[in-house]
Amino acid sequence: MKHIYVWDIFVRCFHWLLVLGFAANALIIDDDSKLHIWVGYCVLALVLARIVWGFVGRGYARFASFPPSVRGAAAQLTDIATQRNHAHVGHSPLGALMIYNLIASLLVLGLSGYLMTTDMFWGTEWTEELHELAAIWTEASVIVHILAALFESKRTRVNLPKAMVTGFKDMPEE
Amino acid sequence: MPINKMSRFPLGLFLLMVVQFFCAVFFIGDVVADYRAMGGLTGGIHFWVEVFATVSLFVTIAFEAKFLLRLLRREAHLQDRLRLASAAVYDVIEAQFDEWALSPAEVDVATFLVKGLDIAEIAHVRGCAEGTVKAHLNAIYRKSGTHSRGELLSVVIDVLLGQEAAGSGTAG
Ligand code: HEM
Ligand code: HEM
Repeated sequence: MKHIYVWDIFVRCFHWLLVLGFAANALIIDDDSKLHIWVGYCVLALVLARIVWGFVGRGYARFASFPPSVRGAAAQLTDIATQRNHAHVGHSPLGALMIYNLIASLLVLGLSGYLMTTDMFWGTEWTEELHELAAIWTEASVIVHILAALFESKRTRVNLPKAMVTGFKDMPEE
Repeated sequence: MPINKMSRFPLGLFLLMVVQFFCAVFFIGDVVADYRAMGGLTGGIHFWVEVFATVSLFVTIAFEAKFLLRLLRREAHLQDRLRLASAAVYDVIEAQFDEWALSPAEVDVATFLVKGLDIAEIAHVRGCAEGTVKAHLNAIYRKSGTHSRGELLSVVIDVLLGQEAAGSGTAG
């Protein structure tokens, strides 16, 4: 086993604060409340900070270390199809696609929420509609994200959620 | 891994599945909203048609996923280094592997075996320990009723020559 430091403290804090904020807004807090708007802005701020960190951060946090890649995704799907196992130290290619999807969805969610509260778009049908659609899409993506994290942990025998807590991945030696 | 040169990844199918998933998610949202609005299962035929359409869309996606994985497996075995077989030859071999009910991992190992890789090389290509490959090998021998690589190869050659002696599990 190789013990490798993968997720820096910023990425880990970002992730679990995001989980808290998103879950609170999607499941618990009343949609019409002031609190919903404040928590929503916090989520938006977290995502924007993560985007900055993707450029100025180091190592596996950088977007450059997990570029969207059809070829990589295809190779990972082939691994799944043939039950081969090439573990990825940073984000896996499919994981990367999901992360870009989540970040984009959360941006749309936050922006549509913001537009709803502006004078210009207040009461317009489409911002509400967009906010609701973005919320449904993000929730579905999160469900897939969590299932995929569990599936990949089982398949590659690397505990991914634990790595998001401790920052370290235990990679099998080849 | 440079070993997988995916020149023909079915990107179109993959994108279609993503779009279908997108649609399915919103259909579910609709069904749930209808259900809430009705306050129970009071909706008539319209509601159930909606439910049926949504469920069948998910089933379709599942079938497509299965098909996609099959395509990728085939591509992998036709394109890996030490490529041995033409597509037609591979199809015959694969049908025999299917008849033996080999798992995807076992099919992968058996294919490499036929191509002439040794255990260490197979372990490297598959990213696993040699012990794991040996465990797969034992399962392959058991399911095919053979006892060694040589015996397995001769069965495969028999199959290719069309003189299949193999009932499932009792080849030889
Ligand atoms: C984590 C991010 C967010 C999530 C998960 C979220 C989720 C939701 C959901 C599910 C609804 C109910 C939609 C419906 O069924 O009509 C809603 C409504 C609303 N959201 Fe958000 N939201 C988020 C961020 C924001 C932000 C950043 C703002 C504003 C700046 C905002 C403002 C609103 C408003 C004003 C409503 C009320 C719309 C209505 O009831 O007609 N949301 N949100
Ligand atoms: C309990 C539920 C969750 C678990 C177990 C979980 C697990 C994980 C894991 C293991 C990773 C790293 C993936 C990898 O190794 O490549 C990750 C990354 C990520 N997750 Fe989650 N996740 C959860 C919920 C969420 C939610 C609710 C959201 C968003 C609303 C989310 C958004 C993200 C994002 C954006 C990343 C990328 C992290 C980065 O690179 O900064 N996750 N998650």
